[in-house]
Amino acid sequence: MTEVTLNLTRKDFVSDQMVRWCPGCGDYAILAQMQRVLPELGIPKEDIVFISGIGCSSRFPYYMDTYGIHSIHGRAPTLASGLKLTNPNLQVWVITGDGDGLSIGGNHLIHTLRRNIDLKIILFNNRIYGLTKGQYSPTSLPGTKTKSSPMGSIDPAFNPTAVAVGVGATFIARTAATDVKHMAEMFRRAAHHKGTSFVEVYQNCLIFNDGAWDYATNPKTKHENIIYLEDHKPLIFGKNKDKGIRLNGIHPEVVSLDEVDESELMVHYEDMPDGSLSYFLSQMRHERGMPEPMGVFRCVDEPVYEEEVLQQIDLAIEQKGKGDLQQLFYQADTWVVEDESSGQNGSNGQGGNGSVPTLGVDEEYVGVVFNDEASSEPYFSPTDTLSTLNPRQPLIASQDISLGEAIQKLHNLDVGLLALVDDNGKLAGVFTEGDVLRKVAGNVTDLDATPVKDFMTTNVTALKEDDTLAQAIHLMSIHKFRHILLVDDDNRPVGVLSSRRVAHYIQDNFAEN
Amino acid sequence: MSELKPIYKDVDSVVIRFAGDSGDGMQLTGTQFSSTSAVLGNDISTFPDYPSEIRAPAGTLAGVSGFQVNFASKHVLTPGDAPQVLVAMNPAALKSALPDLVPGGTIIVNTDSFTKNNLAKAGYDSNPLEDGSLEGYKVHKVPLTTMNREALKDIEDLTSKEKDRSQNFFALGLTFWIYDRRLDTSLKWIEQKFAKKPAVAEANKKALFAGYHFGENTEAFQVRYRIRRAHLEPGTYRRITGNEATALGLVTAAQKMGKPLFYGTYPITPASDILHYLSTYKNFDVRTFQAEDEIAGIGSTIGASFGGALAVTGTSGPGLALKTEAANLALMLELPIVIIDVQRGGPSTGMPTKTEQSDLLQAMYGRNGESPIPVIAAQSSADCFDTAIEACRIAVRAMTPVIMLSDGYLGNGAEPWKIPDADKIPPIEVKHPTEPNGENGKFLPYKRDPETMARPWAIPGTPGLEHRIGGLGKQPETGNVSYDPDDNQQMINERAEKVARLANWLPEQEVFGDETGDLLVVSWGSTFGATRSAVQSARAEGKKVSHVHIRYINPFPRNLGDILNNFKRILVPEMNMGQLVVLLRAKYGTHEFIQQNKVTGRPFTIKEVYEKINSLLAES
Ligand code: SF4
Repeated sequence: MTEVTLNLTRKDFVSDQMVRWCPGCGDYAILAQMQRVLPELGIPKEDIVFISGIGCSSRFPYYMDTYGIHSIHGRAPTLASGLKLTNPNLQVWVITGDGDGLSIGGNHLIHTLRRNIDLKIILFNNRIYGLTKGQYSPTSLPGTKTKSSPMGSIDPAFNPTAVAVGVGATFIARTAATDVKHMAEMFRRAAHHKGTSFVEVYQNCLIFNDGAWDYATNPKTKHENIIYLEDHKPLIFGKNKDKGIRLNGIHPEVVSLDEVDESELMVHYEDMPDGSLSYFLSQMRHERGMPEPMGVFRCVDEPVYEEEVLQQIDLAIEQKGKGDLQQLFYQADTWVVEDESSGQNGSNGQGGNGSVPTLGVDEEYVGVVFNDEASSEPYFSPTDTLSTLNPRQPLIASQDISLGEAIQKLHNLDVGLLALVDDNGKLAGVFTEGDVLRKVAGNVTDLDATPVKDFMTTNVTALKEDDTLAQAIHLMSIHKFRHILLVDDDNRPVGVLSSRRVAHYIQDNFAEN
Repeated sequence: MSELKPIYKDVDSVVIRFAGDSGDGMQLTGTQFSSTSAVLGNDISTFPDYPSEIRAPAGTLAGVSGFQVNFASKHVLTPGDAPQVLVAMNPAALKSALPDLVPGGTIIVNTDSFTKNNLAKAGYDSNPLEDGSLEGYKVHKVPLTTMNREALKDIEDLTSKEKDRSQNFFALGLTFWIYDRRLDTSLKWIEQKFAKKPAVAEANKKALFAGYHFGENTEAFQVRYRIRRAHLEPGTYRRITGNEATALGLVTAAQKMGKPLFYGTYPITPASDILHYLSTYKNFDVRTFQAEDEIAGIGSTIGASFGGALAVTGTSGPGLALKTEAANLALMLELPIVIIDVQRGGPSTGMPTKTEQSDLLQAMYGRNGESPIPVIAAQSSADCFDTAIEACRIAVRAMTPVIMLSDGYLGNGAEPWKIPDADKIPPIEVKHPTEPNGENGKFLPYKRDPETMARPWAIPGTPGLEHRIGGLGKQPETGNVSYDPDDNQQMINERAEKVARLANWLPEQEVFGDETGDLLVVSWGSTFGATRSAVQSARAEGKKVSHVHIRYINPFPRNLGDILNNFKRILVPEMNMGQLVVLLRAKYGTHEFIQQNKVTGRPFTIKEVYEKINSLLAES
């Protein structure tokens, strides 16, 4: 976060919505302090988001002129987590209450704290359900008489800061809505902490639970009942700063500074790596006769979740390169299904545009054709190259000759296939006996005036000399080719194999048996 | 040893079931067999069937894990009705799979496991290998454990227990011999998988070879079967499961939007594999979030969508129930998210590893208030890819949550997938406004697009568009909290209209077969394979029956009503007690819908649907 002057004021954070809390509700002070602190942070307001659950406190986002979501009961931390993982640049605040955050949303709260996502969680604790009109909450003390507990509640109370310590929260603080300066400072500290910040705010619900925090907020009594935490300082409290906390065995106890020297007192360290000191502090409760700590219990640097998520992404990109979908699709064993309709003895002569596809290895036939039930041990291998079959020289002519000339050549030399080449000697197409019978006979009147080009097959399936016998047999048996043309790497015709030649080769090699 | 000369027989298709104890590695064996068959160019369809307890008591019927593969030289749409070959690693496997085997089928058993103790655990009073109860089947008795130990005796770094673990590769090798499969795909897999454990790799390889050579050198296995390449559309293929296809579809959609993919979820059978796959795609800026529960899974997804990611959550039936409230929040916030439900046997925890289509009504109606959410369903494992992309397209177009229904059968089953050209998949256009859309520089978060009725997707970080949205009733356009009766009525109308209008944009329903006739079979989701095959068979015999397979369930295709009008009777096979029929009756009530329902945890067989078609045609 760069500290730029944005000239934001409190007013910039006030939305156009009417605030609808009960007059005198503690929530007003919290809202006001938040609107006061945010302009100081140097964060553009479009980068700030408030997310809440359900309850009186959760109306909060509507009153802030930032981005915001008023979500569903208890789930605000989940939305905030997804948002922060999507855009870590945002400052995301979670507004929750004792019912929302500790009862229905308890699971989300503890797991969010555990992960240490950089969220600012403010828990308004009024020890009651306000919005549903006054049932006891998880932080109500046992014996609380409410509509749902006319004889007093039985449930032991949740201790929010102890919960936070227990799950390893990296920033834990407590303040009271009546103590506006202190509260503003806690918000500031929470904002600056990198990781999940958890701030419990004592908030008075004057309608259903008025005076629940009186001991901690009444100016007359509070100094005896609370203790302000200061980093690296001994725990001292009391209106006259005359009392302190000393560790007796494993129990903190209140001592009078008239009797005990300051050096014997517990000293507060916010950054103690383990949580034991924070836990001691969380156990100091009013109902146990102890002053309740106010301030920062704990503030430690730990790896921040979303940063680690992004680091893993960067690392993955570094290791594998930026994702390429086509590559990803091919991350498995693949196989190719050839287009079986492109045979050179096909019945139509128009073919393609002169490209000459070469067949890929059809491996299955390598293993299949030669292990036939009638066959004995072969003395040749299906992987023999075609050159070992001594292919004949092909009959080659220019593709520009006439149909008459082509037929003449086939006839004179008594061969079945004529390879036609372009000016560079590269294969352009083939013309076969079959073509004469099927396409020419009866269709053409003047053979010498018609170019052979019009009747040759252009998309020829040719093989190379180092292709295997298996492939030749595949073409002959599956596609019914009678001749197979062999080409070199430059696509010039270099040989021709007839089905007869192949049959003889196989026969010759079996004959020795 | 005298020279053996194998005899070859050509067959069109074979259905084989590998069955053993859940610790026997049968899922792996089946997967390896289907991968190799796929690479050889056969069409395949697979059906894994395993117990929900990872280690149910060994040797018991409850602990039997099976994997069925249908591999063929023709196009297959299902894993096959009944296996012709059963590989049974123990008595319990034999006992549980035998009723499915075709009469006269082949059984390969590991005789070493037929001990008194194991027979008793499987509930056999006498040894079926000796008491004649397997008469009529071709039984191959193989002392597999003994032979495998013998083959691995030179490997020093493993205990005999560890060596026994490679037994499944011995069985695999033997089937590779019988069906003339190459070993290289599996050898390569072993090398990669156990690169860090060379002793295990060696044991598995040796076991594989040993099984293969055992077949080669055994008189009884001298009939080998060949299944030629299937005639599939030309192209490059791979084998894919529905869950992997879903994961690939999601990452493709995100790339096509130019967005990070956020996947917030909680592990649940049978959907977890989607998370597993996606968590390996981090170099595509995929951010997976294994949340603390189902609700956090969808909550984080909504937050991610607010932030501008393509946001998806995945689950199965019980998880969908938990996500209900948050799904409605997404509906009210009008943020795009995709919810994937890989359905399983219900209700409650039900049968987690078995398949069902019984979440349809939950997807449609299982939320409080008026809650129209688009629902689409995948028809096959490979189709999960297209369906996932489609779900994302709909979500961002209409700014709405979308539910995609898959199921355990599709999610875990596999089939060949023709790999698409990634560049040819069209981009998915997404707009994020940067300027206010109201008067005096005000931003109105619920001011709708006149055509799609979607609200603008303004994301945090955009100056001047700060706005608050929530789950409370709203004023139109401003989105401010409002309990005004007219406002509420209008917003509910608008949300319904927005989803209904999708039908104008989505493709029309196609009919397989004649456009009119006496009988139409209507199906959705994973019953596609069995239904289409059954209709094909009936039509091949000249019967007048057509098939409509519905992908878009909410909203229904705009021409569906017209199609139904052209048929006298409509048969609806479903792996539930008639949930699509409820929807069809509600919308097209005047037709005669005949239900065919099944909730046994197993998919329909072709035969079941075929026989139903025949009996209906015979009546009329
Ligand atoms: S009910 Fe209590 S907490 Fe709620 S607004 Fe009123 S005073 Fe505040």
